[in-house]
Amino acid sequence: MKEIDARGLRCPQPIIELGKEVSFMHAGDQVMLHSDDPATEPDLVAWSRMTGNVFEKKSKDSFVITKLSER
Amino acid sequence: MVRVTGNFQSESPLHPKAFDVLHAAFDSGWADPAKLSQSGAKARQLKNNALESIASALSVGVDSITPVSPTSLGYFLGIQGLFVNTPTLIHGATDRKDVFAIAAETPHHILKSSLDGKLIPANNVAKPSVLALQIANAETGVVQECDAIIASTQSERIFLDATTSGIRVPLPDQFSTALFDSKSWYGPAELGILIIKKTTHWSNPLPHLNAAHPNFDVSLPLLLASAVALENFTTEVQEAGVQARKYNQELRNAFSKVENTDIAGSLESSLAHMLSVSFLNCNGEELLRAIQNDGYSLDSGSACTADDLQPSHVLAAMGVLTHGNIRITIHPGTTQEEIDGLIKSVVSNVNRSRA
Repeated sequence: MKEIDARGLRCPQPIIELGKEVSFMHAGDQVMLHSDDPATEPDLVAWSRMTGNVFEKKSKDSFVITKLSER
Repeated sequence: MVRVTGNFQSESPLHPKAFDVLHAAFDSGWADPAKLSQSGAKARQLKNNALESIASALSVGVDSITPVSPTSLGYFLGIQGLFVNTPTLIHGATDRKDVFAIAAETPHHILKSSLDGKLIPANNVAKPSVLALQIANAETGVVQECDAIIASTQSERIFLDATTSGIRVPLPDQFSTALFDSKSWYGPAELGILIIKKTTHWSNPLPHLNAAHPNFDVSLPLLLASAVALENFTTEVQEAGVQARKYNQELRNAFSKVENTDIAGSLESSLAHMLSVSFLNCNGEELLRAIQNDGYSLDSGSACTADDLQPSHVLAAMGVLTHGNIRITIHPGTTQEEIDGLIKSVVSNVNRSRA
């Protein structure tokens, strides 16, 4: 699984980096996002709803994102 | 330097008539209303007139009114004054930080928010309980279904936060204390009006020597200016609401056409003069500055614009995007030209930011 290390980056950069990576992925592909920005988790909730993808929190600052749609 | 032509921040200048009164009041309302001198009697008369005017506009008895300053003190007095035997404090996830601060010191239960900003009613909360209920949210303008929440919690003691809704939304029948903010009717800032409707439910939580109705000695000129602002806004609020709703709908229609836009709450369930919208992959601070450079001032709930770098707890509780956020407040003097210019500025700066 590909990993994005966005630790130390502040919002909205982690979500922008994630969006770039996801645009190259296919439905079913996964990516691990590492981010210690306090806005990342709430923004992943909104981002998932807006883009039709899902995420799972793995640790305090790690999230696995699964691409569900081809958007 | 860029000339700011449109003010869409939550703060605004005093109501013009309140501004006039403020000057006169500093001239004639300087004395201590509690003293027996001639100037004291005059000040006492002015104070009583102001309180009666405010009570009339808020449809409450004059004896129930306690002006407080700063407004945030009203949260402590209004909520903590209802506490007996360490109750559970029930409050919303989208409440002001002042309420969270009080809840941190006592057993509490937080009502979660749904995506539309409405609090989800809760049953089976440990009793006795005190309910602190925000009528309309300060960031999104979402108005709560107060009666349903009050019925679900079955709290006997209820504090209402009317600081944002002001006189735009009527108070529900059932409450013990309520707090208004003079700013909500374009009166002076940092002047709150605490309503203590049920004196049997409330006791002064501050150190005091007698149980008489509290008097916190707010500035008389500010109280007079607030009363005049309220008196005038009462006659303007309906027309201002109709105009604001029209402008708000135009803003929502325009922003909805921009891809990956997240608008907090619907217009139908929000105050007509407020709008919070987030744009995916935009930096809130940069967006704010770019729009400011076009001549329009507004607010943001994004973490990058906050001192503590924390995202808006209101947007996070709703599940709305916290970055790339702007908050727009439509004031009674806002013009069609300003709305059109703001739309153009926001859309072009969002597109530029994403490019």
